[in-house]
Amino acid sequence: MDWNLLFSSYSNVFLDPTTLLMTLLGAAGGVLLGAIPGMTATMGVALLIPFSFGMDLIPSIGLLLGIYCGGMYGGSISAILIHAPGTPSAAATLLDGYPMAQKGEAGKALSVAMFSSFCGGVIGALIMTFLSPLVAKVAMKFTSAEMLMLAVFGLSVIISISGKSIAKGLISAFFGMLLCTIGLDPTYSKQRFTFGVTSLKGGLSFIPVLIGLFAVAEVIAGVERIIAGRESAQAKSSEKITRVLPDGKTIGQIMPNIFSGGIIGTFIGAIPGAGGDIAVFVSYAFNKGVSKHPEKWGTGIPNGVAATESANNGCSGGAMIPLLSLGVPGDSVTAILLGAFIMKGIQPGPMMYVSELPTVYKVFAALMLANLAMLLVGCAGVRVFAKIVSLEKRMLYPIILVVSLLGAFSINKNVFDIGVCVLFGVIGWLMNKYEFPLSPILLALILGPMCEQNFVRFMDLNGGNFGAIRNYPIAIGFFVVAVGVVVFSLINQQKINKREAANKASAVE
Amino acid sequence: MEVKKTQTKAFSNLIASFVLIAFEIWAWLQTNAIKTAKNAAVQPSTFPRIMIIGMAVFTVILLIQSLIKLGSMKPDDPLAEKAETLNIFKDRGVLAALGVIALCALYVYFFKSLGYVVVSFFLCGIIMWIIGLRNPVKLILISLLVPLGMWLIFYKMLQVNIPMGWLQFLKDLVDKI
Repeated sequence: MDWNLLFSSYSNVFLDPTTLLMTLLGAAGGVLLGAIPGMTATMGVALLIPFSFGMDLIPSIGLLLGIYCGGMYGGSISAILIHAPGTPSAAATLLDGYPMAQKGEAGKALSVAMFSSFCGGVIGALIMTFLSPLVAKVAMKFTSAEMLMLAVFGLSVIISISGKSIAKGLISAFFGMLLCTIGLDPTYSKQRFTFGVTSLKGGLSFIPVLIGLFAVAEVIAGVERIIAGRESAQAKSSEKITRVLPDGKTIGQIMPNIFSGGIIGTFIGAIPGAGGDIAVFVSYAFNKGVSKHPEKWGTGIPNGVAATESANNGCSGGAMIPLLSLGVPGDSVTAILLGAFIMKGIQPGPMMYVSELPTVYKVFAALMLANLAMLLVGCAGVRVFAKIVSLEKRMLYPIILVVSLLGAFSINKNVFDIGVCVLFGVIGWLMNKYEFPLSPILLALILGPMCEQNFVRFMDLNGGNFGAIRNYPIAIGFFVVAVGVVVFSLINQQKINKREAANKASAVE
Repeated sequence: MEVKKTQTKAFSNLIASFVLIAFEIWAWLQTNAIKTAKNAAVQPSTFPRIMIIGMAVFTVILLIQSLIKLGSMKPDDPLAEKAETLNIFKDRGVLAALGVIALCALYVYFFKSLGYVVVSFFLCGIIMWIIGLRNPVKLILISLLVPLGMWLIFYKMLQVNIPMGWLQFLKDLVDKI
């Protein structure tokens, strides 16, 4: 590694006022976009890419990376405050973020999310700087067999997010996987469960389902609780935010989760086709599994927010690795970034490290700067964002509903999606009422298409012989880890149940 | 106070199992309608069927667990707690929730013809009224300004074209400005 070049590239980027300004603007735009349910970081980057046409490469990359990193954090704001993940990769943040807000710790949850996002992003950027060629080599060995087993590995975390009943969690997961099969079959384009409805041919859109299951379901349940007298209509959070960053004690408590989350996020992000939405659940399950108090996870603890948000932003660095080293985008945002590079006359790929090394280092620096900009914007916004929950519930619920339904529409500009959103709102409400966990559906919706496509591809390539999987050592490795995770989660769940029973018994005494 | 067996969570799980089994049978029958692909190692109906089988296996497990629990239920068992109801006569909250669902269905139906701002005004206003906001100024202002603001953000900043129905003139006005 050329340290002098690396240093001069970082100083060029950090001392260039245009790059600084563009990255800051991008981060601010990304945070705001990400916070709106239905608006993803991908949409933000796609929307603002025309503004970068007239700029030099590095300020324009700074702007786009700012939106990317800001959008990743922004998604957690609505997940924490209104139970509606702004982006798919913020879906796991609500597991602990929303309960924290319900306990009157919305500001703390936001600051933990912001700090963890920043640290995760920095971990991703550092790994990208020092290990990108190496990580890219491993990631590119992934064929359909490895991708299938990666999906299976991702699904193995379902048990740890299933809550009290594993059977109910697995029913939810299989239901989610079944939902993924609606529409045209990805390999042979045969219609499945479309019932002659044209809008169903493309399958269910993920975002309307996500918004329905969480935000709309929460509004329906909230109205029910208020009318039944189980919640006050005037209830509002009275939390006073005295600091925008977590205190030293909290940082010490969440640091291990941030490190592991950042590393998991970077490595999963580096695999083309796998992104933040998978990494957050894997990180959550891993951190819950190794926690001394797994029973506290899901009840509103900062560790849960830290584990998911660091993985989420770690992915931004990870996704850049195959883009720069091999010219293969790691996710949809980096696919758009690839277009931006090509427009500027630069072809990412192995040769970029030879012919454009200063540019490569400047991109590393721009990612680091984007994370810093995200932190600054986040710090400035924590108090403002937290004000949302200081609204009375009787005003907050209807507002959430109209904003969420618009978010569902905006994805495909299709009224059908609002219908899907409402339908899943009802399903989510009923499932919550009868204690069927919702998160496994979400994970299944993310991993289902990846699982099916790679399963069919693998079977076709191997003449229908599934046993051929033994010829793929990385795939076998993933499978073994997945089995280990299942066994470990089952044991962990038993421990949680025993501990909860003991706590209940002692409370009765 | 001891809860009747038919009101317990174990019993609601039993009912849920039957509902799910009915759904799984229906879904399986639907897979018969999926066309087959020639020379395919995996048919388009294979994956959904695997998922239905998986769902059915765990539904049966839930059913058996519920039956065992109902057979030998201890008062301190978490599944012996009272389950939530869907009976609108026993719980006014359920009636309100169903009302919100009905309003949402009307919202979808009228979204295109009346436009986002108008339908959202009614949805937002009616729900606020249902859950106890009686201040007419607050009620009207919030129901009007939130959808208007959201429309402006989506239309002008994010360039998402949203149906405006009755208020189409606003779009023309904003375009002129």
